Amino acid sequence: MTDFKALLRILSDAGVEFIVVGGVAAAVHGSARATFDLDVVYRRTPEGIERLVLALLPYHPYLRGAPPGLPFRWDAATVRRGLNFTLTTDIGDLDLLGEITGGGAYEALAPSTTIIRAFDIECRLLNLDRLIEVKRAAGRPKDFEVVAELETIREQQRQRPARP
Amino acid sequence: MSDSERSSIDDIIDVYKRDVDVSLIVENLKRSVDERLEALMQMQVFVEELRRAKQAAGG
Repeated sequence: MTDFKALLRILSDAGVEFIVVGGVAAAVHGSARATFDLDVVYRRTPEGIERLVLALLPYHPYLRGAPPGLPFRWDAATVRRGLNFTLTTDIGDLDLLGEITGGGAYEALAPSTTIIRAFDIECRLLNLDRLIEVKRAAGRPKDFEVVAELETIREQQRQRPARP
Repeated sequence: MSDSERSSIDDIIDVYKRDVDVSLIVENLKRSVDERLEALMQMQVFVEELRRAKQAAGG
């Protein structure tokens, strides 16, 4: 099981700049779909990469789905020379995305985010309109199912007053 | 969006919308952010339990 609360806390406490996207973002917006990993777009500054590496190191990140025993090292050089990482950790599955299709990198997405408090942790959440756009851009049939739900959420929100 | 701007993708999304459970969404929108995330984690526990049960049954 992925402990979303612990992962958000670890990233936030370490000062990693990130944006929650994907299924967890959809759930925060009101989606009822199950998701099993946390997807975040992280800011790829040299300091940010160092913080990210140190924050996750105690939780033994490894390439999800890869055979055990590969010479994978979770260090700054690996992150700098890569971009997107689908990881398994001791506290669950985490997708670290340097860029997303249709959305770009952290800096491009940041203006389309809202700061939320989840479990007393402040974090950036991709807003609903932008989440719909990137899901459409991803272009897989399963993404269109998500878009259908997200657009329905948007329609419902427009009919209902915002939750205080 | 005007009809001239629509693509076949919009038509596909409209087909999927027929299967969206609006009542679930309405219930979710009544929840706080924490409650929505707790529900998501509870769903994971439930699915994991089903997977374990299937494996135990030799499935």
